[in-house]
Amino acid sequence: MTVYSTIGKSVPKIDVKEKVTGRALYAADLKMPGMLFGKIVRCWSHAHARVVKLDLSAAAKMPGVVKVLGPDDVKAKPYNTGVLDLMVDKPVGHMLGDIEDQTVFSRHVKHQGDAICGIIATSEEAAERAAEAVVVEYEALPVYLTAEESMKPDAVQFTPLKPGNHAFQLPEAMFPGNVMGWGDVDPAMKDADVVVEDTFYVPKQKQCQMEPHAYVAHFDDGGRLHCWTSSQMPKCVHIKLARMFSLPMSRVQVVQTVVGGGFGARLGMIGEPATCEMAMAVPGRPIKVQYSREEDWVASESRHPGKYWMKIGFKRDGTPIAADAHFTSYKGGYFTQGSGVAFTTGAWLGGLYKWGALRYRGDSYYTNHSPCGAYRGYGNPQTNFVVEQLVERACSQLGIDPVEWRKKWHKGVGDDGWCAGVTYPSCALDECLDRGAEAIGWTEKRAKYAHQTGVKRRGVGVSVMVHTSGAFPMLLEHTTCTVRLNEDATAEVMMACSDLGQGAHTALQQIAAEALGFGFDDIHMKTGDSDSSGFDIGAHASRTLYVGGAAVKAACEDAIKEVRLRAGQMLQASPDDLEIEDKVVRVKAEPGRRISVAEICSAGVYNFTNPANGERNGIPGQIQGYASQLASHNSPPFSATFVELEVDMETGEVKLLELVNAHDIGKAIHPPSVTGNLEGGTQQGLGMALTEEIYYDKDGLCLNNSFTDYKMLGPSDMPHMTNILVENPDPIGPYGAKSVGEAGIVAPVGATANAIYHALGFQITEGPITPEKILKGIRQHALTL
Amino acid sequence: MKKREICLHVNGERHILTVAANTTLLHALREDLNFTETKYGCGTGECGACTVLVDGTKAILACMTLAATMDGKHITTTAGLARDGKLHPVQQAFVDESGIQCGYCTPGMVMKTVSILARNPNPSEAEIRHGLEGNICRCTGYAKIVKSVQRAAELMADESKAAE
Repeated sequence: MTVYSTIGKSVPKIDVKEKVTGRALYAADLKMPGMLFGKIVRCWSHAHARVVKLDLSAAAKMPGVVKVLGPDDVKAKPYNTGVLDLMVDKPVGHMLGDIEDQTVFSRHVKHQGDAICGIIATSEEAAERAAEAVVVEYEALPVYLTAEESMKPDAVQFTPLKPGNHAFQLPEAMFPGNVMGWGDVDPAMKDADVVVEDTFYVPKQKQCQMEPHAYVAHFDDGGRLHCWTSSQMPKCVHIKLARMFSLPMSRVQVVQTVVGGGFGARLGMIGEPATCEMAMAVPGRPIKVQYSREEDWVASESRHPGKYWMKIGFKRDGTPIAADAHFTSYKGGYFTQGSGVAFTTGAWLGGLYKWGALRYRGDSYYTNHSPCGAYRGYGNPQTNFVVEQLVERACSQLGIDPVEWRKKWHKGVGDDGWCAGVTYPSCALDECLDRGAEAIGWTEKRAKYAHQTGVKRRGVGVSVMVHTSGAFPMLLEHTTCTVRLNEDATAEVMMACSDLGQGAHTALQQIAAEALGFGFDDIHMKTGDSDSSGFDIGAHASRTLYVGGAAVKAACEDAIKEVRLRAGQMLQASPDDLEIEDKVVRVKAEPGRRISVAEICSAGVYNFTNPANGERNGIPGQIQGYASQLASHNSPPFSATFVELEVDMETGEVKLLELVNAHDIGKAIHPPSVTGNLEGGTQQGLGMALTEEIYYDKDGLCLNNSFTDYKMLGPSDMPHMTNILVENPDPIGPYGAKSVGEAGIVAPVGATANAIYHALGFQITEGPITPEKILKGIRQHALTL
Repeated sequence: MKKREICLHVNGERHILTVAANTTLLHALREDLNFTETKYGCGTGECGACTVLVDGTKAILACMTLAATMDGKHITTTAGLARDGKLHPVQQAFVDESGIQCGYCTPGMVMKTVSILARNPNPSEAEIRHGLEGNICRCTGYAKIVKSVQRAAELMADESKAAE
């Protein structure tokens, strides 16, 4: 086993002291001299309408108002918050049908909270008062809250670019017949001994990051646009703002502040376009836009809900000979991640089990909900809710133990992953299942809870998942990193990779320390400022450690190569004959011949010339390492989750008792961050399974845009959690690491549903599985106490 | 809106400021006095991110408290707990147990922990979980926050033993 100096150590995270004293600065904490306040005026009364009259004259005259901006004042080009155009090649983007259908302010309200106009004022209160003086008259349009309604031929069109409001289907050119998969499903299904089939509903879940969106922008007198944001993808925002406002990239700076949680809510852009639009209207003055929680709720993105039909055919011995699935998602008012989620939802399905034949269709239709975008798991929790429940039902009919079935039929090393040809380099799912089953007491509890009567009934359930480590080959997996060695043998690592709280910067710093052979505290991470960092596609797709970590490692190795080269020259030895330990370079055969890394670095910087003879005192130049890292593979993590719970047959309430996450991490670079991500992801996955959904009334107005009405699991609701980290180093990931950022949310969804099935003996196909649905099911199945 | 002058003692500093009748303590702390460690999460008393202490150990929600009602009171924010660069035992516990991810709920969690331990220096796990209800965290699943509170209880017990 390799011995590491920093990798795998539970060092304190680099940002915790600033966070625990509260002095870490989030976007909302920023203040600048002369700062103005912007307010985006939104439509709260309609989910679908046309603005027939907009009169800003009274608002413009309100005290403290500096400027008002309507739809006609917008200079920014239309955009797509998802910024997928930076990550897929143009022809592919065209094939996927990605469009830029969002504008800063609009006359066609497509969801409650859509932006109509903007107010710039000297205080937030003045801006808010002026917003109330804006006169808007609407012509109400029919409200569509399902695909079935918005696809009707006479429905109002959301955009001329998507006839029939059909935002997305798998493109024919990439997926013949608009289906993803392999083999011939129909004849295989006919051969099946057991067929399970159902239509599920997956709920519209909100990320609920604790920091509401906030931005500061400043168009300075020199004509340079600055934007402070908590985007998960600061470098992409940099590029997009330059394009939207027709500025050279060198005239735009994007600075990522400390980020108060992301989970997809800050993927790409949210309020940056409107904030910068307002800043451009008042050159020289910084402007702050702070979203209220209600605004954050209705005007930023959520998980894709929708109908998910699936049918699986099995042979008597459990062989899954055919799987047929169709996810129809309700897109909300704008395209955003319309192609991505509909694709990946099927890709996770194909990557999980060895289906004899698979046919997946993914469609998305515009609806009058808030737009759906990225949310932790990106389609995988939806698939988990469906496929894991159907597999469970089949196991029950076939009389096969669900753990044993999964061990036999999950994909593993050498199998195709989410894209054909990208095979799994490592997989420790069998060990995850074995150790997880043992930890929860699977065999004993499955038997014990099999035939219960009475008011309180317990169940234990399992679910497995495979996720991703970066989005290769679908997205441009590119991260740049520069490592500058200081003359005292410390280093600055400069890159755009984001830390949303998941601990990424700490883990990247560990990788830098390990690769350089420096101490952990010798490294400083300079991140998130577009002025000092090169290209990167941001924190999403669980990519930061796998791709960003590989970039850091490569850049550090580049710097160390130069150190060895110079040491060789200075010690008159071949670089291959050298070894480095504790920042000292030695000739292996003669340890007395040595030079410190600090001396080498220092000689490069303080490269004086002797005035007497013109000789230089060493090898000139400050040492820098650089990597423009393009991932060439994807090593997904697997995991198994076990849940034990108790259902109250009288109230329908579910009490979560125990939960075990066994995660195939490859190598845990920073163990507390790995377990922290699993635990946090679990809270969100359990919420999706049991309590979390955004509800709308028939007019498309949100019924629960607050933490009181949108129910997340609190401290007392959470089960006792056990984490099992299975370390089976991946041959490709940096130091053997695979991802963990999103994974924790996925398998708890299916495991919870399956534990409820175990307790009740019937399944609930509509998420979240609330007490009302459980009681309804108990009545329908005529269960008696 | 009628305005009045009030005095707030924040982290031991005396501040005189003029507030409107409807100015919240959150607004006064963040916008008027720059104690931005008191976080805005919802503005409606649902998330706990703005929790501060009044008179040492009583946790209140700054977003639900009118600044004018705090005239003459002593307010503590998480920045005021650290002394001479040394973290308060509760803060140290959150660092030691990795009870912090994005950090946005942390100031409120730390304040709430001080108030829980002031009432009950040796709480059970269930008492800790119950005590934390009202403070939302979306990153940790509360596991490491509960451990942080348990660790804080130990550190504070050690500290008071040492002081005896």
